[in-house]
Parts: sequence; structure tokens; C-alpha cells
Amino acid sequence: MTDQMSHPAPPQPPRLRTTWRAGRRLALLGTATCAALLLAACGGGSAPGSSGGGGDSAAAKDTPITIGISLPLTGDFSQPGGEAKRGYQVWADMVNADGGVLGRQVKLKIVDDASNQDTVVADYTKLMTQDKVDLVLGTFSSLLNFPASAVAEKNGYVFVEPAGGAPNMFSRGFEYLFFAQPATAPHQADVFVDYVKSLPADKRPQTAAYPTQDDPFTRPVIESMQKQLEALGVKTVFSQVYPADTTNFQSIANTLKNKKPDLIAQGAVFEDGVGLVRSLKQLGYTPKALFQTSAPSNAGQYSDGVGAANTEGVFYTVSWNEQAKTPLNPEFVAAYGKAYDAALPAEDAADAFAAAQVLQKAVEATKGVDQDKIKDWLHANEVQTILGPLSWSAKGEPQGDFILAQWQSGKVQVVGPADAATSETIVYPKPPWS
Amino acid sequence: MTELLQAVILGLLIGGVYALMASGLTLVFGVMNIINVAQGAFLIFVAMVTWWLWKHTGIDPILASVITTPMMFGLGWVLYRTVIVRIRGSSPSMSVLLTFGLALTIEGILNITAGNKFKSATPSYFEESFRVGDISLPKSQVYGFLAAMLVLAVLYVVLTRTWMGRAIRASSQNPSGAALVGVGATSTAALAFALGASTSGVGGSILSVLYPFFPASHYDWISRLLGIIVLGGMGSLPGALVGALVLGLAETLTATYGSLRWATLVFYVVILAVLLFRPQGLFGTRLREDVAV
Repeated sequence: MTDQMSHPAPPQPPRLRTTWRAGRRLALLGTATCAALLLAACGGGSAPGSSGGGGDSAAAKDTPITIGISLPLTGDFSQPGGEAKRGYQVWADMVNADGGVLGRQVKLKIVDDASNQDTVVADYTKLMTQDKVDLVLGTFSSLLNFPASAVAEKNGYVFVEPAGGAPNMFSRGFEYLFFAQPATAPHQADVFVDYVKSLPADKRPQTAAYPTQDDPFTRPVIESMQKQLEALGVKTVFSQVYPADTTNFQSIANTLKNKKPDLIAQGAVFEDGVGLVRSLKQLGYTPKALFQTSAPSNAGQYSDGVGAANTEGVFYTVSWNEQAKTPLNPEFVAAYGKAYDAALPAEDAADAFAAAQVLQKAVEATKGVDQDKIKDWLHANEVQTILGPLSWSAKGEPQGDFILAQWQSGKVQVVGPADAATSETIVYPKPPWS
Repeated sequence: MTELLQAVILGLLIGGVYALMASGLTLVFGVMNIINVAQGAFLIFVAMVTWWLWKHTGIDPILASVITTPMMFGLGWVLYRTVIVRIRGSSPSMSVLLTFGLALTIEGILNITAGNKFKSATPSYFEESFRVGDISLPKSQVYGFLAAMLVLAVLYVVLTRTWMGRAIRASSQNPSGAALVGVGATSTAALAFALGASTSGVGGSILSVLYPFFPASHYDWISRLLGIIVLGGMGSLPGALVGALVLGLAETLTATYGSLRWATLVFYVVILAVLLFRPQGLFGTRLREDVAV
């Protein structure tokens, strides 16, 4: 599997990473039989898509609107895929309880693609050409959305995807593709750069260090931030990429301690983020500001890992936060908790919910399920979602901003952009380690 | 200069911990010609148990090894009696397959019971340091290093000074001779395997404090440990210690003065180099058959 194309910032260490590691390790062990064994073991999880019967075709006023979705409910992406399913389901339940869309009930037809590119193509082809569903919604990860969106483009179906921000998604000139997150990877730290810009010149960090994991979702974020901050005059004193199996962050912390950067911006998936915070404390260096890409968004696991007191002042950006004051967000969080044992929604569930919202608004605005009208409307309009307002370039790239969040007194606060903020205070400079 | 000294100290400290983790692996290979790929999974399993004990009773994670070490000794013994014994006399590659299966099983069980989430035991000292001038000595690593040296010393004494250790060495050198004088081959092998597994008791406890871990973390560790014992000479306990210190230093110095990309590759580069130039490893020639002398 190529790591070039999957999804940013999974809220829990996902199975897909596990599997890459397994593959790599085995190669190193040099035992071909072992690899075969692993394949056998991994293959065990796949299950064929469960397709119900029936063609729901023509759209009478009293027939439901059928939305076809293929999701990775088993296999490598099963964890985030399952969250996306919950997000779609919560949306459908809320909409149906409210009288449906255009007075018609919504029916989701969800099939399982087992995290497999071939299956996802077969699934969407069947949904569009045989089942003739009224609408489709996207699947999870760039890996699967890449071929799935091509099927939709060919069949003239609008394809709103909740995940899939890899840059090559948008270089194909597709007209029916819309990415329902606020920003693609290279723009996910823009909101932090804006914050730095908002500081008086003498208060800004003068120097910065950029350690980042070699990961398709952290590197573009950090590299783009580095470029933007350099343009602002922030001097780069350290910029290095480390591999995913790095466990020893004390040597990085030792180097950073000697370079004394004001800002440390780390492309951290999870355990690397925890490792660096611990090591910086062990070696006794506190930067003026600490930014990490996705590690700090894993709320409980992060504060347990670094110690609650050490989270103070850590910045990160994220597509969604359960406290964000966006329209319908509290209702979504409540409905999700009611449906699933009072659990908090994962970011992936929120992204799926937002993708469905986008499609819903377009259907309501165009008063029908005409794909071309929906497509044109989405290209011309901005849509309010629980992630904030979304709008798209001609290629389907979102034009918005991520949320800037910061750990304050052991809790996560949204600190930017201003209209989504839950706290007026921003902790800067970062206090020394407790 | 401070930077260099700090890097060397960090490298030696982490090397000591690596040595502890590798000791069980090299012991089991030296005595039984079994490459126990599940050693990494043993470590993660112990880390998980330690975390649970720490979370629910507040017991210090490193002290918890007083509980986890006998637990792993027992588990190792049972595993040998029920599973490993079936491949006695087969080639070492069979043991790779079998123990890899074991590792996957342990990983799967942990996934189901503990969940696919990161855990870390964080006693009060987990991110604190002793300071000597400008030099920091992370407390958890210092404790880990001391525990590692203690365990290695005990292992050495057990193997050279006790009846059990002599029996283990005797049956590895000359199984039929040992059997003639009353050393049961199967029971001795079970003891050796149990002893190897028990070293993960302390190793896993320390791991739970040093790094966040989740069920699949064992792949990172086993590959690193294999690099260490290949460098030291497979089967040699002193070799594992020297190999671990050398690689701990190499990793830290590469990260500090070279590139982070190469720091974790050092382990694999070493495997290649050793296989090319000195296949028996640093301590391999003299100590191939005898683990402790």
C-alpha cells in the first residue's frame, strides 16, 4: 500500500499504520515465508460488500432519496471507515427526523469495500449503473477516493468526499469532485501562520525548528508552514525529516536545546509528538511556542502520554472540534452521543457528517437531484457545515481554514479563527515545563 | 562539547535498556537455536500488564517487574511445554515462523482486550531528569539502565553458578551427554525458554515508562533487538550488552550529528555489514555454543 494516499490525522492510531510496519519489519527479517504468513493473516479480515437488493430508481415525491456509499468497513481503514459510517448515519437520522430532504426521506445504501481499491470501483459502479441511486457520497481515504471519484466523474455523479486531501486528487481537472474539509494538507497550518502574522513583529518567534515525521499528512503541513514563516522573516534553524519508527527523541531534543529555536513546529502523528514533548522536558528546553500537527488532537491519549501539566500552550490545527461554535455542531455531538453510548464523535465522523450536509444543501437549493445543477451550484456557492463554511475551487479543492486549537489548563480550546473560538486567551509565550 | 557529552550519555543509557531487552532473545538462541521473534510481543504484553497494574493499583511500573518477571517465567514455561516443544530439532527458520505466529497472536489478543490505542505509564518521574551541570540524565532511563545491569548480572550468575544454569549450558553443548548424567532435555529447554521470557518482565516494565506503546509496537522492537544480537554475536550475552551499547551510541550520535533519517537505519545497516564482514558477530566465534562464558 502506498502511504501517498490516505487520510490526515486519524484520531486513533489506525490499523493501517500497523500494517505498513508489519510489512516493513518482515522484509527486514528477510523471511519470505513470514511475509506470506502475514498476508494470509491480513487477508483474513476482508469480507465482500453486502449489497442489498433492489433498484430504487425514479424519484416520485413519496419515494425516499437513496444515497449510495461504499466505505472501508473492514480491512486497513476499518476504524476510520466505521467512524465515517456513523457520521453519515447520524446525519440521515437527524434529517429524517426533521422531515427529510425536499420532503422525501433519506435512505443510505452503504456497502463495504474492504479497504480495497478494486472493490470500491466495483461498488460505486454498481451503485450508479445498476442500483441507479439518486446521489452518492464519498468514501474514506485518498487511496479509495482517488479511483472512486473517477467512477463518479465518468458517470456524471457529484462526488462529495469526507476525506481524501492528497494533492493529486485535484490535479485531474474533475468537475464533480468536492472535498468536504476546510483545507488540503498544504494549507492546514495557514491559520497558525495567520496567528503569527497577527503578533507585533517584536513578539513573533524569530527562529524556528521543523522536525517532521516522514508521513504524507504531516510533511506537507510543516513544509508549507516553514515556507510561509520564512517569508515572514522567521529564521529556520533546524529542518529535518525522521522515519516513522523513530522512538528516541532525546537526541532531537538535545540538538534543539543547542539551537534554541523560539518556535518548534513538529509534524507529529502521535507517539513522536509525545516523545518530543517528554524529551524536551527531560533536557530542560522550553520553546516560546510549540506546534504539533495531529498528535495533540488525540485528546485523552495525548494528555496521558505527556502528562496533563505538560500540554499547556501546545498548538495544533484540526478540521473539526466538538466544541467549535459552528451551526448544528452541538446537535451533531449530542445526537452522536445518544446513538453511540455517549461517545464523542471522532473527526472522521464529523467530516462525513459535513460531506452529507454539503450534498443536502445543494439538493435543497437546486430543488432536485439533477447532478449537473448540484455541481454548478456547489461551484458557485458557499455551504455552512459543522466544520465551518466550505467553498471550492474549480478543481474541487476547499478554500477554507482549519481550526487553530490550543491546550489550556488541561483542556482543548479553539483559539482561531475568531468566529469559531471558544477562548479569547492565547497562551504565548509557552510557560516553562512544570 | 556539552552537546557531545550529552549525546554520549543518552546513547549509553538507552543502550543499556536495549541490552536488557535483547538478553532474552540471545539467551534462547544460544541455548536452543530458537529465534524468538515473539520476544518483542512479550515486551509489549508486559508493558500492557504493567500499565494496567500501575493504572489500577498505583504500583511503580519498574517495581511491578517483581510481579511480571515470574509471570513471564511461567508463561514462557507453559508456551515451551505446549507449543515450542513441537519444533524441537527443527531448523531455526521453523522457530521464526512459529514464534512469529505467536507474536501475531499476542498482538491480536492485545488488540481485542486492550484496544488499538496508545498507552503509557507515567509515574511521577517519567519526564524528569537528574541534572549534573548542563547535562541531563533522564530519570526513567537511569532507573532502566540500572535495572538492566542488575538483570544481566543475575542472568550471568544464574547461568554460570547454579545447577539450573549449568544444566541449561550442558544440554545446549551436548544433549546426549547431559541426558546420560540425568539432565532432562525437555525440562531444561523449558527452563531456558522460561528464563528468556522472564527477562521481558523487567524490559517491558521499563518500556511502558519510556515510550508510548500499542499492540503493534513490537515490530519496531524486535527488528532493533535482532540488529543488536546479530552485531554482538547471536547467542552471546556479553555480545548483546556490547552490541546494545554500540548501537545505542550509534543511533544517538547519528541523530545528533548526521541525519534523523539514518538514525533508525543504523540497526539494519549493522546487520548487513556484520553479515558481509563478520557473520559470527563481534563475540560470535568463541561463544557460539556457550551463552555466558
